[in-house]
Amino acid sequence: MPAAPLDQLRSLVGTSHVLTGVELSPYVVDGRTPEAAVFPGTLDEVRAVVEIAAGAGLPIIPWGGGTAASVGHPPAAAALVLGLRRLDRVLEHEPGDLTATAQAGMTMASLQAALGRGGQWLSLEAPQPERATLGGVIATNASGPRRHLYGTARDLVIGMTVVTGEGAVVRGGGKVVKNVAGYDLPKLFVGSYGTLGVIVEITVKLRPRPEDERFVAVRFERLADVGIAVRAVMASDLIPTSIDVLDGDAARVRALRTAAPTLVVGFDGLAEQVQWQCVELERMTAALGGRDAVPLAHDAWLAMTAAGRDAFGTPAAVMRLVMLPAHVTDAMAAGAEAAKARGLACAWTAHAGVGVATAALFSPRQTDVEPIAATLEAWRASAHASGGHATLEWAPLAVKARVPVWDDPGAAGRVMRRIKEQLDPKNVLNPGRFLAGI
Amino acid sequence: MVPLAEPRKRALRRELAAIVGAGGVLSDPDELLVYESDGLTLFRALADFVVFPTSAEQVSAVVKLANREELPFVARGAGTGLSGGCLPAEGGIVLSLMRMNRVLEVDYDNQLAIVEPGLVNLHLSWAVGPSGYYYAPDPSSQQACTIGGNIANNSGGPHTLKYGVTTNHVLGLEVVLPDGEIVWLGGRTREAAGYDLAGVFVGSEGTFGIATKIAVRILKKPQAVKTVLAVFDEIERASAAVSAIIARGLVPAAVEMIDHLTIQAVEDAFGCGYPRDAAAALLVEVDGLAAGIEAQAARVVEACRDAGAREVRVARDEAERALLWKGRKSAFGAYGRLSPAYMVMDGVIPRTRLPHVLRRVNEIVAAHGLRVGNVFHAGDGNLHPNILYDPRVPGEETRVLEAGAEIMRLCAEVGGSISGEHGIGLEKTDFMPFIFSPADLAFMQRLKDAFNPTGRCNPGKIFPTRKTCGEAGPVAYRPHPIEEKGLAQRF
Amino acid sequence: MAHGTTETPAPPAPPAPLALHGLSVEGVNQCVHCGLCLASCPTFSELGTEMDSPRGRIFLIKSLAEGRLALSDSTVRHLSLCLDCRACETVCPAGVPYGRLIEAAKAEIERQRPGGAARRAFRWINLGLLLEHPRLLALAAAGLRAYQVSGLQRLVRASGLARVLPSTLAAWEALTPAVPAAAARAPLPALIPAVGARRARVALLTGCVQSVVFGDHNRATARVLARNGCDVVVPAGQGCCGALNAHAGDHARAVRMAKATIETFERAGVRTVIVNTSGCGAHMKGYGALLANEPSWASPAARFAASVQDVSEFLAREPLRGPLAPVAMTVTYHDPCHVVHGQKIRAQPRQLLAEIPGLRIVELAESDWCCGSAGIYNLTEPEMAERLLRRKVGHVLATGAEAVVTANPGCILQIAKGVRDRGAPTRVLHLVELLDRAYGAGR
Repeated sequence: MPAAPLDQLRSLVGTSHVLTGVELSPYVVDGRTPEAAVFPGTLDEVRAVVEIAAGAGLPIIPWGGGTAASVGHPPAAAALVLGLRRLDRVLEHEPGDLTATAQAGMTMASLQAALGRGGQWLSLEAPQPERATLGGVIATNASGPRRHLYGTARDLVIGMTVVTGEGAVVRGGGKVVKNVAGYDLPKLFVGSYGTLGVIVEITVKLRPRPEDERFVAVRFERLADVGIAVRAVMASDLIPTSIDVLDGDAARVRALRTAAPTLVVGFDGLAEQVQWQCVELERMTAALGGRDAVPLAHDAWLAMTAAGRDAFGTPAAVMRLVMLPAHVTDAMAAGAEAAKARGLACAWTAHAGVGVATAALFSPRQTDVEPIAATLEAWRASAHASGGHATLEWAPLAVKARVPVWDDPGAAGRVMRRIKEQLDPKNVLNPGRFLAGI
Repeated sequence: MVPLAEPRKRALRRELAAIVGAGGVLSDPDELLVYESDGLTLFRALADFVVFPTSAEQVSAVVKLANREELPFVARGAGTGLSGGCLPAEGGIVLSLMRMNRVLEVDYDNQLAIVEPGLVNLHLSWAVGPSGYYYAPDPSSQQACTIGGNIANNSGGPHTLKYGVTTNHVLGLEVVLPDGEIVWLGGRTREAAGYDLAGVFVGSEGTFGIATKIAVRILKKPQAVKTVLAVFDEIERASAAVSAIIARGLVPAAVEMIDHLTIQAVEDAFGCGYPRDAAAALLVEVDGLAAGIEAQAARVVEACRDAGAREVRVARDEAERALLWKGRKSAFGAYGRLSPAYMVMDGVIPRTRLPHVLRRVNEIVAAHGLRVGNVFHAGDGNLHPNILYDPRVPGEETRVLEAGAEIMRLCAEVGGSISGEHGIGLEKTDFMPFIFSPADLAFMQRLKDAFNPTGRCNPGKIFPTRKTCGEAGPVAYRPHPIEEKGLAQRF
Repeated sequence: MAHGTTETPAPPAPPAPLALHGLSVEGVNQCVHCGLCLASCPTFSELGTEMDSPRGRIFLIKSLAEGRLALSDSTVRHLSLCLDCRACETVCPAGVPYGRLIEAAKAEIERQRPGGAARRAFRWINLGLLLEHPRLLALAAAGLRAYQVSGLQRLVRASGLARVLPSTLAAWEALTPAVPAAAARAPLPALIPAVGARRARVALLTGCVQSVVFGDHNRATARVLARNGCDVVVPAGQGCCGALNAHAGDHARAVRMAKATIETFERAGVRTVIVNTSGCGAHMKGYGALLANEPSWASPAARFAASVQDVSEFLAREPLRGPLAPVAMTVTYHDPCHVVHGQKIRAQPRQLLAEIPGLRIVELAESDWCCGSAGIYNLTEPEMAERLLRRKVGHVLATGAEAVVTANPGCILQIAKGVRDRGAPTRVLHLVELLDRAYGAGR
């Protein structure tokens, strides 16, 4: 990296907020080390950093907690990591309005703690809340089990301030819960993986904390029966916050201590609502072959959300599949068969009610890419068969070289490229990492 | 706008008829006249043709023809919009989607339906109702408005407080892009690969293309519903009650306010049971499980009493509940009993600012010598001041527009928005600078260029046409730019 | 008072009222263009064109009255296509008096475009000669009966002659009701005395076409009323109430007939006039508005209008008097437009049906949608009438009911034709026939 822009950055944000050399090791992705990592402390500094980087032709990698840094194609060479960790405050929280505005670098854990003091929460979850930042969760559209009832970032973000690739500060949406003035820019940035702008401030809708909340785990003999139970729950009067399915291998995590396919359903609300639903769930699932309905402790439930990845040590790849809800358990069963046929092991978890599954693949010979790639392709095909898609969330470079990280979005991809060209004409924001060549 | 020369018009008519059939093209001026406005009669613009396609392929062919001829085009649903969004501001072709009104598929296992854009919103709930499902977004015009129109405006409704607006229920759409290409944005699954194109398309007011198939979520009907009517002698107490309900940790399905003047209109219309002498009434609904429903209703009742309601009661049965809602949902039309015309505002404010803003709204309208009725989504802070006027009285329209501009500025000043669900359309373009900077608008314009580079798809909407509106100080009425250009007449 | 609305200035004095050749259409100004009526309009629902919607037609009428629009072919077409079913009035929050507006517009069409000699003659024979002169109508009925009984009708229908008639005439031919034998067309006695404790003294409108085609309905109505404690008076010399004329734009004659009807019934000296045909009931309830501008008629007309009740409306005020015999049958109910929309009578007929033991009632989809009969609409607009009829019959057959019950002769004829065309065995009954059967008639 030429000295001039680096000096500019140092004088802008202070020397201690610009990292270079060995200090960059946490920011190495897919073997690529950035030129520098810079940590602005204000919106205007973010704007100025982008301006300097764009002026010097340096690609920018927006960086929150780094929990999803491995998602995507390998980053561009000679890039600048723009870290948002110093932008970590709640700017506004009016409990009466059920809204809050926070800076993007705030971790989910500290945001929830701050909101909790007002008796409220943001109904958006992400793995590793101590590290994951609000901006990162939104940029990667991360979500957790409770999305079943409460939706994802697109349903909760109502306003956003971003810095564009040309260094302009742009606000989209607003601070009110309902707003149709202008285009819905927040939707565009949710899940855009930092390719359209650096998200700096976010306004979200909040919910009052429920009086009571419980998660109930029910074991089944067969995965197919779990599928039947999921459909029964969805067609019933129950209003679960989450409907998760773990196959036998994923269920072996510490919290569940079983090797049986397991259904985990969450409820919240008034105590009497939660109570009635737990009883009703037990009655309903018992009739369908469910056994041992047990309440889960909250931390146990958190562990469960990452169950698949930890099933057999370090995975060879992790794939996220989106499909129609009714196809989930069939896809899990077929996916396990596809792995077994190639001598591999796998573990699946799914937010079954919304059709989002995560599968971790394990291989005794991690260097033997062929069976890994073939299995992943089979999985992807099963998502396509259901009108869905798949993303290779994590894999070593050798696997990424063989299996596309993203799906081909087809004709819609042309529209996406036109958007990218219009909104980031110099192509400085996270170039080459996303799908459709973006 | 220069009218099309007769020979060219005849030739175009033949070509359009070849696409949609002879019975699917209107070009007689007497027939085009009824398409000159939507639910907002303040703005009028005439099309050269109105066509009635019945498939995406026909829509695409019409759009390609329009492009070849360099004619603007715009889609239209039922025409119940309230911002002039579907008006052919620069003439050209109106594509009425009323003949694409089928429910194509319902998938109960996956809780979704595929519908055509001309389907009436309520008809989807009718279609899935017998199986225990419904379509949640419920604009007050749901008995007439179409789902395609809802897509354009990202329509809300009373129950959005708990269930969200249209965009929260759309999974994906088949659209005809402004260049005529047919593309699916999103699909049937909860997420699609790449940018959330369905998300940005919803609410783009017909400037990104024309939706021809829509995949929407359908929800299970709740087990139980309780509707509470709270009657207040002072509107400020009613406003305060709204925040008090939220402060008790409740998320009601709906919190609606209806003021004194509006109560007169709806009672005249249908005799719905709102007390005529009330200053304001709140209609609060809680729904969900039967378990706990009584407790939730009791909390609402308590919150309203504590806030100073003079009377609070829970609707006895479905019939009373339906009647109360009928009154609420018919309120706009019922103003016809009080006045030959009205202009509805659609500002949104943080709900904690309701008492202040409502007081100011009434002051502003009175200062302009006009009457206002308020009926709105109080829980969302989405105001609907309806300014009553008589277009036949010289000067009244000007005063209405002036008062409207002041109200929009007020909403912007308290951190709100100028539109919560009706859209910017033609009506509010010049007020966009109240809430957006030039950089914000330039960014949006680029996004528009990505979809609609020629600008032929629904021109004249959303973006301000003059820069002076961003200036500080009271906004003086000026003729709308499209009037000045002779593109539309004001009556 | 602490009302939220700050003191409101008095509404400004409105400009001169809008009218079409003297008939007020000021009601157009109540329309605020909200569009809530759209999806309730059968023609809009079929065509999707704004000109064929209530909102569009109101706009056309307004533009005509304001002189923005001339009465062009297309405008005549769209206004003529209106069924006058008034479904839009039921849903209109602004209270637009749509029925009055469309009748004024139809009168204006007749004034400006009376049409050729054949059309004028056709209208004169039907609206003038026959409706205004009960004796001529009776003669015509006898002639029609002869045509039907002699086999001539079968010949016409079988020979395909009907197909070469102009469409209106062909539709007319197809819809001509089977005229019953002379006995059924005989006038009712002047008084049918109450059975049991006397509840009221009522007069019965026997109608014009009704009396010749559905004399049995009148008899059944009288019997059912008598079983429910009514002395039923049948005023002599009653003619047509003028509803068909008003709907067809024949305003002057409609006014004459209204006056004659009021006079005839005033002589009977009753406080309740019972009607069993929907269009007549709705129209007679509107006499007050029809004659409001004639000083010597305004108050008698209003008084008379207030005395008019649909037979179901009257009967449902009290529980039916027993004993009622079971009628083991599955039926569905079709709401005649001018009962449900014109008179806002929706619950009463269903309530009465529910009181008949053994009767199973299934709801009909779009039960309050026009069947296409709409007075003489099925003669003047046969194509649209047929579309709506097919839609209606589709819903009827979907219920699986053995009979569709309704309360208006026009609907009965129309739906019966539709059912016949589909080759279905479904019967079409008047509500009073079913009640009459529960009271033991026909056994």
